[in-house]
Amino acid sequence: MTVSSGKTTRLNRLFNPKDGRAVCVAADHGWMSDPTPNVLELKRILGQVVLGGADGILVSFGTALRMSQFFEGKNSPALLIRADWMNMPRLGGSNLSNILPVVNFKKKATSCAKDALLVGASAITIYYFIGYSDEFEAINIEQAACFAKECRKIGLPLIIEPMAVGGMVTGVNVTEILIASGRIAAEIGADALKIPYTNDVKTFKKLVDEAGVPVLVLGGAKSDDPRDALELADEALRAGASGTVFGRNVTKAQDPRKMVEDICALVHGGMSIDEILGTGIKKRGRLRPVAVNCTGCQLCEIACVHYHSTDFDQSSHRLRIEYKFRPNEPRISKPIVCPLCEKCVDACKEEALTLGSGGYLVLDQSRCNSCGDCVTACPLDLVMCDRQGIPLFCDMCEGDPQCVLWCKPHAIVLTQPKGAEKHVS
Amino acid sequence: MSSNVGKNIRMSDFIDSRDNRCLMLDLTLASSVGAQPGTENISETLGRCNAVFDGIILNPGQLEHHAELVGGKMRAAPLVRIDWTNAYRDKDFCLPASTVTRVTLSDGEDALGLGASAVVATFLLGFGEDPESENIRSISLLARECYRLSLPLLVDVRPIGGRISSDNYMGSIKLGTSFMMEAGADALILPDCDAETCALIGKWASIPVMLRLDEIPTGEKIEQLFNLGMSGIVLSEKILPASGIEEKLTSLKQLVHC
Repeated sequence: MTVSSGKTTRLNRLFNPKDGRAVCVAADHGWMSDPTPNVLELKRILGQVVLGGADGILVSFGTALRMSQFFEGKNSPALLIRADWMNMPRLGGSNLSNILPVVNFKKKATSCAKDALLVGASAITIYYFIGYSDEFEAINIEQAACFAKECRKIGLPLIIEPMAVGGMVTGVNVTEILIASGRIAAEIGADALKIPYTNDVKTFKKLVDEAGVPVLVLGGAKSDDPRDALELADEALRAGASGTVFGRNVTKAQDPRKMVEDICALVHGGMSIDEILGTGIKKRGRLRPVAVNCTGCQLCEIACVHYHSTDFDQSSHRLRIEYKFRPNEPRISKPIVCPLCEKCVDACKEEALTLGSGGYLVLDQSRCNSCGDCVTACPLDLVMCDRQGIPLFCDMCEGDPQCVLWCKPHAIVLTQPKGAEKHVS
Repeated sequence: MSSNVGKNIRMSDFIDSRDNRCLMLDLTLASSVGAQPGTENISETLGRCNAVFDGIILNPGQLEHHAELVGGKMRAAPLVRIDWTNAYRDKDFCLPASTVTRVTLSDGEDALGLGASAVVATFLLGFGEDPESENIRSISLLARECYRLSLPLLVDVRPIGGRISSDNYMGSIKLGTSFMMEAGADALILPDCDAETCALIGKWASIPVMLRLDEIPTGEKIEQLFNLGMSGIVLSEKILPASGIEEKLTSLKQLVHC
């Protein structure tokens, strides 16, 4: 990749030259949404973020002027300036809790690249909204192209943040839109992307590969459990991301410094989430059937299908209810659930199926060759393949097993070994 | 400055001065619809193609990031696509366009700074009066800028709007040719058209005209279009996934510059 020396120098301040990765914190929320506690306490929080070792902090132009002390010094975080403004957090019927809700979606360029350069920024960040309307996207593209031109001229890196929002975005097309938008942003002139996670490693890898520029995954809304945010980062890194730009997961955390340190340990330190959080896989819970409680209602099967399948294929549940009929006796039913025996893991020669850091089975689709060894290995016949040959297995709904949640008679329970950190809600 | 020296030198980067012919590749569709098959890894694509083609059309971002792979004596000259449009988002794309828009991505000065040998602008036809008039205004202004900068301006004529039918398709190509020559284009990229239209434009146009093709043409077709007065071929990225593409392109190059 060839970029001007100015861009190279500034990108080197953001991305750690040793591993080419960056841990950034977005602290620009007061610029676009209500003054929540993380906005009111921004100065204190940023002090914590700096102590945590963040590589970059994204702020508005005004905050950069008022809190420049956080960016002074060779080892201080790189200053990233949000060069535009938008009203999306205040938009529409779902955000009526806002102080001043708005009806029309607006986005404006608010700083020029030269202004950002003059206050010592290492990059600017701008939005690229796709999916709201054709006209609105064209405005976004035009603004992005203007910034790209200016940034090329003065050697300032441009980070574009594609956001798939609006009535044209559905659950079906959102991943495709994100993948396309990453490449479109790179074609226009992005030097790096700040982009939402696509919710699985395979599609995010495609996004990263096709973008061709460093990709920083954003955290989105604050997670209830820090592990969830770390798992998102972990998966994105496995897909080839160059780091993170977490906002509310850091600025709204109980201990922002600890959260940044944890992300740094994951991104730069190569530590596992269990090492970071001090939890072990073997201490994680497992599903256990309590046959005596089972009514045979099959709600667990429905919950399983509903969680995993978009086409609601009733044959694709990863657990089942078995029935025994004896003459003149009541019907007996029993849940057959994955005991996490890991025989499928042992059978997978490609190491595509693993016991993930969350304590549940994880499939790396890029490694899976659809050999079916995991299907054969399962002693309970709970692993199957879909039409594309991709194994379907119990992943404990990524740590929140729906069968447990929906089984009111408690015929399926989640065992929590003594001393284990409770993870399942 | 009113000399054409700069334009002549830059044009010769991608139109071979020995035979006045060129073979080019357009890799810019990704700015509208994301990566296309064969262009997922753009640096790898450029590495495979840069010795075969006389010129490669790139979006500004890709030229900036991959400048080391194009230009110079042995490699394809870089040309910059100066605009963006959602007109290519059909129903197969995850976000089909309902209102066609076109915006400017770059300008002549920016393109020169990127090391481009020319800029390429899109002229969309058949989408109605407002987009057409705005497109003409934008290209006219760009032509003036390119004149001042001695930077060649190529216009890619695209009669693809809803008002284009099989009845007026060839006529629309002639109309686009006329408008863009009048606007000040230094060369044109036209869609594949019938022999009659090619012959007419070949005689009439006083600037190089290239044909855009989505598949590798046969030797017979190449001979025919050069005989009809065309100056070159612009292949779209759709040719890239074909098997044995390197060999096919090498043969094609020999046919073009025989």
